[in-house]
Formats: sequence, C-alpha cells, structure tokens
Amino acid sequence: MTGESRDTIAESSIIDFITKEIVTRPELLPIGLDTQLIESGILDSLSILRLVSFIEDKFSVKVSPEDVVGENFETVKSIIGFVNAKKK
Amino acid sequence: MSLSRPYLLHHLLQNSASNYPREPAVRAGSRQLTYGELDSLSDRVAASLRSAGVAKGDRVGIYVPKSMASIIGVYSILKSGGAYVPFDPEAPPDRLAFIAKDCGVRTILSCTSKRPGVEELIAKGAPITNVLMIDSDTVKGPGDAESSKFTESSWAKIQESALPLPEAGSNETDTAYILYTSGSTGVPKGVMISHRNSLAFVEWAADVVDLSQSDTVACHAPLHFDISTFSIFSTCGAGGKVLMLPEKASTFPIETANLIEKEGVSVWYSVPSALILLALYGNLQKHDFKRLRAVVFAGEVFPVKYLKQLVSLLPRARFMNWYGPTETNVCTSFEVTRLDDSVTSIPIGKACANSEVFALTEDGRVVSKPGETGELLVRGPTVMQGYWGDKEKTKKHIVTNPLNPALEERVYKTGDLVTLDGEGNYLYIGRRDGMIKTRGYRVEIGDIEAAIYQHPSVKEVVVVPIPDDIVGNRLHAVISPRDGKTPTKEEIQMFCSSKLPKYMIPDTVAFLPSLPKTSSGKMDRVALAQGARSGT
Repeated sequence: MTGESRDTIAESSIIDFITKEIVTRPELLPIGLDTQLIESGILDSLSILRLVSFIEDKFSVKVSPEDVVGENFETVKSIIGFVNAKKK
Repeated sequence: MSLSRPYLLHHLLQNSASNYPREPAVRAGSRQLTYGELDSLSDRVAASLRSAGVAKGDRVGIYVPKSMASIIGVYSILKSGGAYVPFDPEAPPDRLAFIAKDCGVRTILSCTSKRPGVEELIAKGAPITNVLMIDSDTVKGPGDAESSKFTESSWAKIQESALPLPEAGSNETDTAYILYTSGSTGVPKGVMISHRNSLAFVEWAADVVDLSQSDTVACHAPLHFDISTFSIFSTCGAGGKVLMLPEKASTFPIETANLIEKEGVSVWYSVPSALILLALYGNLQKHDFKRLRAVVFAGEVFPVKYLKQLVSLLPRARFMNWYGPTETNVCTSFEVTRLDDSVTSIPIGKACANSEVFALTEDGRVVSKPGETGELLVRGPTVMQGYWGDKEKTKKHIVTNPLNPALEERVYKTGDLVTLDGEGNYLYIGRRDGMIKTRGYRVEIGDIEAAIYQHPSVKEVVVVPIPDDIVGNRLHAVISPRDGKTPTKEEIQMFCSSKLPKYMIPDTVAFLPSLPKTSSGKMDRVALAQGARSGT
C-alpha cells in the first residue's frame, strides 16, 4: 500500500470517528481535513481523550501526555501528521 | 454615606483600588489591569449603562467569551445598580432569548464576536434595545451606528462617559446577579442572589482559604456557573490577582498545567473533572508548582482514586471539597486531611461558619447518626432570594424552618439526600428527583426530555444518565418514534442543539419501537438504564 492511500484510509477513519462519536452539534458537519476542531468547539478536553484512545487502538501507537497539545489536534490533517510521526 | 465594611460586591473592588491602586488585579491572556485601572474602566462602563437608562434593580445581560471584558462587565453592571445576568456564550439563541424575555433584559454588554448572536436573540424576541460593546478592539469610532432595532455604543464612546458616577442607592438586599439553571419542566429558572447572599459566601471563602494580596487565583468556571464568584469577588476583596482562563483553557491539560506554573497560580477552584484531567494528562510530575497552595473542588463527586493521584502529584497543596446548590452558594465544606484505604468517598463536610445545615428523614426526624438518610436543608445568609418571577417555585423550595416554625425562618430544601459519617460530616448520597450532574452542571432530566418531545417524529423519550468516572454522568436518550418515522441520531442531536446548551445534549441516542413501562404504567427508567449500560 502506498503512503498516500494509507493516509486516505487513516483520514476517513478519523473523520468517521469524530462525526459519529464526538460531534453533538450536527451544524458543525461535515468534517473536512482542514476543519478547525478546537476553535469550533468540536473537540473539548473530554472528547479528546476518547479520540486519543481511538487513535491508540486503531493505529497501534502510544499517545503520551506530552502529545496531547493543541498543535497535534487542530485539524484532521494535523492529527494524521502527528500519528505518522509517532509511527516512525 | 457608606459603611467602612463592604456591603455591596463592588465595594470589594473599590476598597482594593484605594489600597493597592497599582497592584495587578486581573490578567487575561497577555493583558493585565491594575486595581486602579479595573476600577476606573468599570466606572466608565457603569456610567454608560446609566446613560443607556439602567437604573437600580434592572437586569443587564453579559454576553462575551471569558476574557478581560467579563470581569469589567460584572463590576460595571453592579456599580450601575443593576443585576448581572450571564449569558452562556456557547448556549443556543433560543435558550438565551428565553432568559432575556424571562427577566426582562433590555440592556446587554457584548463584544464584536457575539454581535451576530445579539441580533439573533433580538430576532427571537429578546427585549434588548441597548448594546454596549465592551471589547476594546471594537473599531467603530464615536458617533456609533444606530440600527433600527437597538442602540449600540462602542468602547470608544464608553470611554467618553462622564464621571464620577453617582451612587445607585443599592443596599445589600438588592439582587446582584441572576444565574439560570436547568428546570425540570423544560424551562430554565433564574436563581436570584443578593449582594448579601454573595458576600456572605465570598467573605467566608476568602477567610477559609486565607486569601491575601500575594495570591493568584485562577478563574476557571464560566460566569454563569457560581464557582466563578469566588475568583472574581473573593480575590478582589483580598487584593490578589485574578487569572481569567478562556473557555477552551482546559482542552489541553498539559497547557493548563504549564499556565498554572507560569502564572504562579496559588489557589485553584473548579469542578473535579478539570482536576481529574490534570491529574491524568497534565504531566504534573514535571512541575513543582511552588506557589499552588490550595485546591478547591465543588459541583460533583470527586472519585477517591483520582483524588489520591492528584494529591500525590501536588503534595504542597491543601485540598477542600465545597458543597452547595447555586441557590445557597456554598453551605458545607470539608478539608481532605487523609486519604488512606479506609476512605471510600469524600464527605461534603460540615456547615460553613454563619450557615446551618440539617437533614430530615422522610418522616421528618433529624438525621443524627450514620446509617440514617435524609434531605439536606440549609439556613443562613447565603440562601438565595428566590427564583425570578416564580413565587410558586420559590415557595416549594424555600420553606419555613420545620424545626422552628414560630420564627418564620427561611430554609432551602436542596433535594439532595445525605447521611452522616462517624465524625459528624455529611456524605452526599444522591438526589430525591430527576436532577443529575454532568460536567459539574446541574441538569434536570425532564428539561432534556421536554426538548426532545417537541420533535415531530418523537412519540416517547426517556433520557437516562450513565455514570461516568470523569464527567459524573453521560446522557443517553432512548426514543420510540411516531408512526414508524425514525429520525437519525444526528437529527435528534441537531434538534437538541437548537434548544439546549451543549452539556445537555445526549451523548448517545437509541431507538426502540416502544419504551418499557413499569406495572403502574410509568416509563421503566431502571430497565432502560440497565439496557444502556449493557449496550442493548
């Protein structure tokens, strides 16, 4: 599998998870790669934790407290970048 | 003539401004104001409010994200003689418009980012005719746009208001603020707190925490949550520094922890969930928090296992649990002094000085020993004036003291069930009714159900709380649709988000052809809760 298609699958699984499990205000949908997740209030302190455990299970990475910072969770794109960096 | 002791909340600020005019009063982001500056800025806004027609007793809305403007707004409304009504900046316009109509808010303090929100409230029938923009980045010059619907004053125009401000003629029994909380029938109710009610708490709290001019107190809670009054009023009374945290401050515990260290926060007061996140994900062991000396929590039960973690990470701090519904400010307090294996829950403690609490069993006896359970009642100066515009509801909750009926003393029935431990501390057990706590907020299950019932495809709905270690409860809605037209989960959540604040929107939604009933024909909430927990 190429890196690009792997990213596409990762993107859609994260978007899917946020859409189904996190967003409680559907006027914030649809979620795109560049949707502001923090600024818009889609992610808050508690939903980030659910997203973190999803990421840990889905991508077999260990997310440490140091990773849970704004720059890694701003958008789906930044989450993917952070997950990829973790895997290396 | 005024007394030498403070008897109105803004006297706390005025006293500190005359004692420490050049000392820092409040910090928000990179901005800081001294006591002298906070006092004179709020005088100007108060003068503008007077020019806009605000008189003693008027309700004035404050609709801004948590910022420097929040604290300026609170003090200026009080100085103008008005009572402040915080509008949750995240709440849907329907709910806020209801609040504005309910208590007759004609004047509102707002800011550029909330201007479209204000227009929406007016479109939904809020009687607002005057809007004062209190963010200093409002670019409009003096002269000001006069739109057909309301008069708008810019920050620049506010700065030109004439001073000194004449006294409003308020006394301590006047209403200082009205906080709206969830009501069981789907209508929020306005808790009226007088200057005296609030000061009784504010002065007690400053004393117990031993606040002084060297303290930096984090203001974590939003204005519509009564926890915020501690940082805004107790701190200013002591001449300490208030650190205003924006709404999103808790999103990343690591950043919150860095901020506590960097700003030298010495006193922290919040709901347990914010502290649990700090303990679990704040990387607290990397800091020494030299200045953090007191951590106070309230609003929900703090699970012992997380409190133990937090205490071990913050060995220098004192820990206190304060208890009290919005209607009573804080009425009991407990200092955590040991957390050995025998401790299974944190008591809410004993009555605060100048308050009295007691619990009555179903048959009216006073709970006097462990094992007995009863409803907690509160008597004292912190007990609210009543619910705005609802004498019936007030009478239901504030009753004549059953232990001393001849004196016509007012006591507040909390609806909270408690028992006693071996040391005379009260322990919280649960609620008598459908109220629950989620994320520190009081939520009436009936309020959520009433909103969902308005959806045309909903025949029956039950909302069940699912206990959760961190947030207290998650909300699960079970719906039986009308005429086989099943809406989607998203549709229901979208519908709720137009009527309810975010913390009241069900986290999960399930659909059943019909809802289980008990033998008496009532909804079988127990079966539905069990079903939700087992995932069926």
